[in-house]
Amino acid sequence: MSSKMYELFKKTLEKYLPGKGVTKRITPDQLELKRFEDLEHYKDVLYFCGKCGQCRYVFQEAYWSRVCPSGELKKFEAYYLGGKNLLLWGVLSGKLKWTENLAKILYHCTLCGNCTQQCQIPEIHHYALEWLFAARIESVKRGIAPMPEHRKFGEWTKKEHNPYMELHTDRQKWISSDIRRELPEKADIVYFVGCTSSYREIQVAKAMLDILTSLKLNFTILKDEWCCGSPLFWTGQIDIAKECAKHNIEEIEKSGATIVVTSCAGCYRMIKEIYRNKFGLEYSFEVLHAPEFLLSLVKDGTLPLENEISEKVTYHDPCHIGRHMGLYEPPRELLKNIPGIELIEMTRNRRNAWCCGAGAGVKSAFKDLALFAAHERLKEAQSTEAEILATSCPFCERNLRDAAKAYNVNIKVVDIIELIKYSM
Amino acid sequence: MGTIEGEGKERILKELESIVGSEYVSSSREITFLYHWDFVTAEEPGRCDFVVMPSSTEEVQEIVRLANREKIPVIPWVSGMNFGGICIPRKGGIVVDLRRMNKVLEVNEDDMYAVVEGGITWGDLKGYLEKHHPNLRAGITWSPAGTGVIPSYICYGMLDLGFIGGTGAEFINGLEVVLPTGEIVRVGSCMCTNYWLGRAPLPDLVGLFIGWDGTTGVVTKAGIKLWPNLPRKDFIIIADTVDTGVKIFRKLAKAGLGIVDMCFLNYVWLCSLQGYREDENMPFEPEKTGGNDFYGLVTITAYTEKEMEAKSESIMKIVDEEGGLVADIETVIDMFSENEKENLLTLTNLPIHFYGVWNFSRGGGGEWVGSYISSRHVAQYYEIARSIAKKYGKHACMYGRVMFGGHHWIARVNINFNKNDPEDVEHARKCLMEIDENVRKLGSVIRYKAPPWAKKRNLEKANPTALELIRKIKSLLDPNGIMNPGHEM
Repeated sequence: MSSKMYELFKKTLEKYLPGKGVTKRITPDQLELKRFEDLEHYKDVLYFCGKCGQCRYVFQEAYWSRVCPSGELKKFEAYYLGGKNLLLWGVLSGKLKWTENLAKILYHCTLCGNCTQQCQIPEIHHYALEWLFAARIESVKRGIAPMPEHRKFGEWTKKEHNPYMELHTDRQKWISSDIRRELPEKADIVYFVGCTSSYREIQVAKAMLDILTSLKLNFTILKDEWCCGSPLFWTGQIDIAKECAKHNIEEIEKSGATIVVTSCAGCYRMIKEIYRNKFGLEYSFEVLHAPEFLLSLVKDGTLPLENEISEKVTYHDPCHIGRHMGLYEPPRELLKNIPGIELIEMTRNRRNAWCCGAGAGVKSAFKDLALFAAHERLKEAQSTEAEILATSCPFCERNLRDAAKAYNVNIKVVDIIELIKYSM
Repeated sequence: MGTIEGEGKERILKELESIVGSEYVSSSREITFLYHWDFVTAEEPGRCDFVVMPSSTEEVQEIVRLANREKIPVIPWVSGMNFGGICIPRKGGIVVDLRRMNKVLEVNEDDMYAVVEGGITWGDLKGYLEKHHPNLRAGITWSPAGTGVIPSYICYGMLDLGFIGGTGAEFINGLEVVLPTGEIVRVGSCMCTNYWLGRAPLPDLVGLFIGWDGTTGVVTKAGIKLWPNLPRKDFIIIADTVDTGVKIFRKLAKAGLGIVDMCFLNYVWLCSLQGYREDENMPFEPEKTGGNDFYGLVTITAYTEKEMEAKSESIMKIVDEEGGLVADIETVIDMFSENEKENLLTLTNLPIHFYGVWNFSRGGGGEWVGSYISSRHVAQYYEIARSIAKKYGKHACMYGRVMFGGHHWIARVNINFNKNDPEDVEHARKCLMEIDENVRKLGSVIRYKAPPWAKKRNLEKANPTALELIRKIKSLLDPNGIMNPGHEM
């Protein structure tokens, strides 16, 4: 009897069985170049959404916690995935017009993907981030986006190759002149520093440099590193982002490196996924995020961790390495290798992790949303009784620390790289 | 009444802003658009003038007072999803979106009830109970996490404790309601104590707000029954036809086995639930595949293992005697891989995602002929619906539940359609109306969460005195007719 039912259900439920946790899956449709710019392509899929609201909650886990920073702040349905889906269906079917107000709603989103993670309609689960992004591109084409702040840093990046309104000539000011002089033209490993660690969170870059230097690895830092293009790409400024990508690939290839190590989650996803899958650019090197790279060094004995850190630590998954790229375990494994650390998980972790609120242009254009999201995360971290909130992205670190300061939250926010440096 | 324009609109907008704060009011096209449609059914869209999101009973009261003074419609709203379009604003006005009023205010473990705000969703309620009171559970509908608890309860929604507790309406111990004239009323035992124990022994005024589809007031708080969260066991019961399945279920209902829920669906729903298209996977006619057409889910709970075993044995025996197939769901699921098992179990852990409720593979549209019905007519209901659907080139997705110890049943037939194809939408609407017309001839069918056209049919043969009483009550409570106009009884 049971086996008969098994056969029946196996046959009937096969489409359902893959289920949750596959947002990252790259489908042939997603690999189609230019598809990410083609909102019209998704017209008939958008209406699969019935605005049921599952995109607001973790599905059947983590006490059905809320997942959408934008929706939780603004509350109106338009700010959740369901609302955005149907607004887009509205404009594509001529029931609504493209307006600046609509663009503002669409840009009120960190594109963190937690909503798509929860929606179990396969087409939405896999493709919603694609059409949310395509909607930005369409808004830019229609002249109602990006937001003024994005346009400003876009223009600046064209000129000075960073979105922080800093001079390109100052990019490596954080490196002592002695070390800068010694960095070779060619090396096996390139440490791709990224703009946030070069201009703002320089302690992350310094810690990474110290680790690489003290291990005497054959590495270098590009003398003419440009922005990876991530903030431009996600705000719909594709052309500038692509210029950055071409330049960086050329510079890395010139170095002869076979491995590129990133410390910024945004840089990692950009170089590893977007350069290839969205821009169609090819390169010959491997891209590793710092925790992956450092963990391999710990495992092969190159990087012994000896100094104890007797603290309770909780870990915040950056969206760009977590949900978007599937890197959940290496950072945790690395933390567990540090003597003394007690790793405590927050309720929303891994695929369900609450976004810090900084990404996709939100921190520059909608500061209230960025701070709200980060404050929520800080409160969740505090509820674990951890003393340290560790992450693996300088942009998350920066936003979380800004919120800690703004709301007077007493928890230490650090990058895992900083902990590794202390422990070695 | 119509939509509001010009200076008056500005003035009302400002007044609403002064009540709830400017960030929680909108009249912009991008925000209101999402309240004009239900995005599921074949019912026509409507239009509202404002959306407002209050955070307290007092704010709701001020909004309703303003609306009553200005004679502007008020549409209470939590998610807008009910498969009958009963939240679609038919005459403009203010949508009162209660989503900010989503808290559990009290849980009384001894008397097993919770007091919740009117905008609480299944996700909010389930999450709260799992975290703070894991020994208790609520009755939950087969619906997504973002939909509302109280709207479901006051519209006779069917829950996964329906066999033991009845409809959602029976799960309500008391209500706090803002009347259309702006007064706040408490009904049930909370009328005169701080205990929300139940509706006895005073006059049961809770009925003034149940089954009225939001036309008599805005519910701001509710006392709802909770139940012990005991170990459970689910059985899959398969029969060749709906007729046979109904007979098995009727016998199980009378066997006193501590069943808490009994529901079933037909072969087509089982297929369409998983997004199958007939052309690409399998024929939708069970006889073509040699398949069965009745798939039941029966849930029992027990305090001890021995009790569970005894109940299980009785269930197996009855199903066998009546010619059905039965297996406990764990045994079947254990045969799947770990990952598959995890995903299969989500189907029995309500609330559920929309994909598990509805089939969107053919354009995302669906509407039901949802009916309270005598068990005598369930099989005929299905056959009538099936043959009419076939005539329209549609498949009848059947779903049903045995309610309150078997005293009555719910049967509903869903018809799917492509929401992007106006012809298909119209075609589906005609099909639904024809099914509705014909199943009513069975004599016991009454629609629930019904769109206006079906509501009208509900009352065509109603007792005239009862109808007059309904009109008098409505007029007394809502003299200006502001509450959810277009959806009255």
